[in-house]
Amino acid sequence: MIRLVRAEWLKLRTTAVPWVLAIIAVVLDALFILTVFLTKPNVGGVRDTSAGYIVPHTVTQLRDLVGAGFETYLLAMLLGALCITTEFRHKTVTTSFLVVPRRATFVTVKLVTAAVAGIGLAVGVLVATVIGGGAALAARGGSFTAMLHQVPAVAPGMLLVFALFAILGVGVGSLLTNQVAAITALLGWFVVAQNILIGLVHGALKWVPSGAAEAAANLSVRNGGGGGIVGFELFTWWQGALLLLGYGVAFAAVGWAVMTRRDIT
Amino acid sequence: MPAIEVNGLTKRFGPVVAVDDLSFAVPAGRVTGFLGPNGAGKTTTLRMLLGLVHATSGSATFDGTPYQDLPDPLRRVGAVLEATSFHPGRRAIHHLRMVAMGAGLPLGRAEEVLDLVGLGDVARRRVGGFSLGMRQRLELATALLGDPQVLILDEPANGLDPQGILWLRTFLRHQAASGRAVLVSSHLLSEMEETVDEVVILAAGRLVMQTTLAGLAARAGRHGGMRVRSPEADRLVDVLAGAGAMARRVDAEHVVVDGATPEWLGPILAHHQIVCYGLAEERGSLEDVFLSLTSGDGGGPGSIGHPG
Ligand SMILES: Nc1ncnc2c1ncn2[C@@H]1O[C@H](COP(=O)(O)OP(=O)(O)OP(=O)(O)O)[C@@H](O)[C@H]1O
Ligand SMILES: [Mg+2]
Repeated sequence: MIRLVRAEWLKLRTTAVPWVLAIIAVVLDALFILTVFLTKPNVGGVRDTSAGYIVPHTVTQLRDLVGAGFETYLLAMLLGALCITTEFRHKTVTTSFLVVPRRATFVTVKLVTAAVAGIGLAVGVLVATVIGGGAALAARGGSFTAMLHQVPAVAPGMLLVFALFAILGVGVGSLLTNQVAAITALLGWFVVAQNILIGLVHGALKWVPSGAAEAAANLSVRNGGGGGIVGFELFTWWQGALLLLGYGVAFAAVGWAVMTRRDIT
Repeated sequence: MPAIEVNGLTKRFGPVVAVDDLSFAVPAGRVTGFLGPNGAGKTTTLRMLLGLVHATSGSATFDGTPYQDLPDPLRRVGAVLEATSFHPGRRAIHHLRMVAMGAGLPLGRAEEVLDLVGLGDVARRRVGGFSLGMRQRLELATALLGDPQVLILDEPANGLDPQGILWLRTFLRHQAASGRAVLVSSHLLSEMEETVDEVVILAAGRLVMQTTLAGLAARAGRHGGMRVRSPEADRLVDVLAGAGAMARRVDAEHVVVDGATPEWLGPILAHHQIVCYGLAEERGSLEDVFLSLTSGDGGGPGSIGHPG
């Protein structure tokens, strides 16, 4: 299994996909960092609408800053989806199935590799944030050390969520092996459908992957503190993590069942 | 025990029966040609052997074990399937290292097989820029990574230049001589004549015959005849028909007379004073036998101009 994961990692890094996604993640991260500096605190329900930037100094603001790149977990998910659909797009799956004739093993190796790659992406985003966000903070007279102190509170949740979303990506990709279909479905869900669902059914947030991600990362402090995004209820971190893992594994299981019956011609 | 054994193999794609109750065996130490016209079911059969396509019924095994159950498949079986299964952005050497690593083979094998197939100089080029022949060579290199006991090749000569084809022939002969089993498909017997020891002939998904090349050649002998080049082809056909021979025009100037000998035909031409530019013995080629064997129920383009 280890040798297959290493081969899979070689497979992944010898294409442009992970590097392009990593670059996109860092660019988005820079924008998110900027947003943190521009987000005025809500004081007693009254929004500060003055121009200019803030210098993060409270625990909440500093954690916001360290976790600025959190939402790039969607890129970890795309990485997972791409690493499996690329095989079908370029028909490299023929060679892969010759090396690993058991399709359950094939899907498992993808899940493990993508999870590791997701963690790698999380680490990359965190490092970029600490360097970029830290430099900006220091330049504005904030305390870089105070920011560093918040890294242990934020990092584990990020690594966990990135890994789980990479798994979810592989799961969806193993079911929708057509690359365009998989990417369209995933973006369609996260950009549009999920928001409509939450809008219609208030309690749905805790059940959808994004809500589970917020819970699993245990970063709800970012959203005003006190157990969740204002006005919404979330699961505890381990419930959220299990739910996400469940989604990923369920898709992968159905994907595997379909793939196993499939003829590669 | 034969290296590859196919037993009652059948594959249906919806209403299409691509392979129909096919049984044959491939011995070690020989090159077996797997022949049949387009759509005969060659690719489908080879992919079933490799577990890529699921058989509707029947079995295909390597020394008694199906491909999926082989503990180290790449060390046992090497496969060259119809080209283009590479990621275009990946370098040739990385493609091979990735397969070697996954199969638990030493990474150094990647360079070795690249040199072997003559791609040593382009090892670091991206596969997207490879020509058809280069891809075919890279496929072959991939198949050879595990130095397998069985080689399965689907139309490997596609896209190869004449030197490449010659090299491939020699290589396959050498592989068989060292005790390996080689199964190689083609829709052209002539391409394979100098390479194969045995042939498995397939038409419309069914086995037509499995025989040695010598066995096929013996059949070819019976199709002998004469080929005449004459400006009076029409009159010649009439005359020969009158003499009770099976004669047919193949084009404006050529007539083929089945079963005729020069001793029989020469005097007839002289007697009827037919102008003759050329007279050649028509030894039925293996290709003709092959065509007549495979055009029977398949119909189609294979049957044009070839009496059964
Ligand atoms: N995925 C598929 N779905 C439906 N029919 C298929 C599929 N693959 C092959 N067939 C059919 O099965 C039959 C055998 O095809 P196959 O590709 O095995 O022939 P072949 O002998 O390899 O031909 P060629 O010499 O052209 O490569 C054909 O009638 C083909 O249309
Ligand atoms: Mg074919």
